[in-house]
Amino acid sequence: MENNVYKVYEDEIQLLEEEIKLLAGKYDDLKQESTFYSDEEILTSIKLFQKEFQGESKGECPSDLKAQLESLEREMSFLMKFTGIHFTSHSKKTLEKHENRTVQKHRLSGNCHSLPFQLEFQLLETQSKENVSAVITDFNVKMESEEYSDLSKFVSSTEKHGNLLLFFRSLSSYAEWYEHRRCTFLHFKVLFIEL
Amino acid sequence: GVLAHLERLEAQARESALKQEEKEQQEQKLAGLKARVQELRARRDELRAKLERQQKGILEKEGVETDAEQPSARAVLEWKIRSMKDLLQLFYLTGISGKLTKRGVCFCISTAYEGTYLHSYYLDVLTKPEVQIQRHSVPTFIPLEQIARKHLQTDIRRFLAVLSDHLNAYAGRRYQADQLQERFSDRLEGTLQRNSLCNLLVFHYNISGHSRSFLFSAKLLYSDLCCSLPTEAIVSCTPNAPGELAEMAAAHSETFRRLALHKAFDSFSKAEVTQD
Repeated sequence: MENNVYKVYEDEIQLLEEEIKLLAGKYDDLKQESTFYSDEEILTSIKLFQKEFQGESKGECPSDLKAQLESLEREMSFLMKFTGIHFTSHSKKTLEKHENRTVQKHRLSGNCHSLPFQLEFQLLETQSKENVSAVITDFNVKMESEEYSDLSKFVSSTEKHGNLLLFFRSLSSYAEWYEHRRCTFLHFKVLFIEL
Repeated sequence: GVLAHLERLEAQARESALKQEEKEQQEQKLAGLKARVQELRARRDELRAKLERQQKGILEKEGVETDAEQPSARAVLEWKIRSMKDLLQLFYLTGISGKLTKRGVCFCISTAYEGTYLHSYYLDVLTKPEVQIQRHSVPTFIPLEQIARKHLQTDIRRFLAVLSDHLNAYAGRRYQADQLQERFSDRLEGTLQRNSLCNLLVFHYNISGHSRSFLFSAKLLYSDLCCSLPTEAIVSCTPNAPGELAEMAAAHSETFRRLALHKAFDSFSKAEVTQD
């Protein structure tokens, strides 16, 4: 009989610990997502941070945070240069967060080579025993420039099926071709003028 | 008599002392658990209130509640670091991402079918003395060496693009076959036969119409490895079946070449419903 009494308390303890973890996570997410610091503010903070810790050795060394930032910037710069996909702004909002299921809404803008894009999508991530699965829904593309008139049918089809990956892969090859065509056209234009 | 009696009393005393000790231990444990529950409840309530204030503050655009008036420089940097990590993670959604390594790059090719992301494949590429693949997780039935021979040295982006096309098409074919087995198992007769590349599928399925059920057999061939739709779809029905069934088989063959496998079966189900 006593074991049952213990179990009631132990079960509640487990539930409370899980709830606390979830609430703390929600607070952190909301804090992260509703804040924005410009690049200038970041630079100012780096300088301030280094000053604050000159002579002290409390917690994490200033060089650690700075080094982390620099390493992340290097990775980002490499990826953007390599893929030709430059993200210029990103905002994320966590809509749902459970133990093994998260739904986030993303707004992403940037350009792929010279072609600008603006996207919105919802990302559902589910954690199972083996891995994390990701599904895109509510995929919306905003494009106004005339360069996209060829693409508009293709874009609507990727929107309909939430095909974010295909959108990026195709945009990437289209942008490269477009760039190549533009250069070729300019090249011939110059040739004609010279003639 | 007396000794035995004394022994009995002693035994009784020991037993009751033990019982008393046990009772005290249980009470202590229970008290400990109760206290822990109280502590956790208080922390949980505190967090709930904090979250409520935070959400209210954001709605009223007063800004986020922080412990200090001005965020510390450390907090700003930590924000930026987390923000960059979040953005770097998004790169895998674009299909080709990677991480710099000591001797080169570890590329990641992600695959997806429409909005569902499937398996990711990795390639550890060295850049010195020349571009070469040190390690990879690409399955053996994907013609990696062939693609590498053609593009790796001259245009690594093209190499990754072509490899991505192969992997995505394979992932798409596999996904369709899995969906058929999962969602239309009641239509399938026997097992779905497939090869590792999932570009050859053989299966038997039933279609009902006019209160009868007919068995069809299908053989799908995907000779374009970068495509997730079959180039050939051979559909046949039992030799002594009525004539309309031959028409139906031809129609199904066309459907299989035009629609994804599970979507083709969705259309069969719809057609059945409208028929009856």
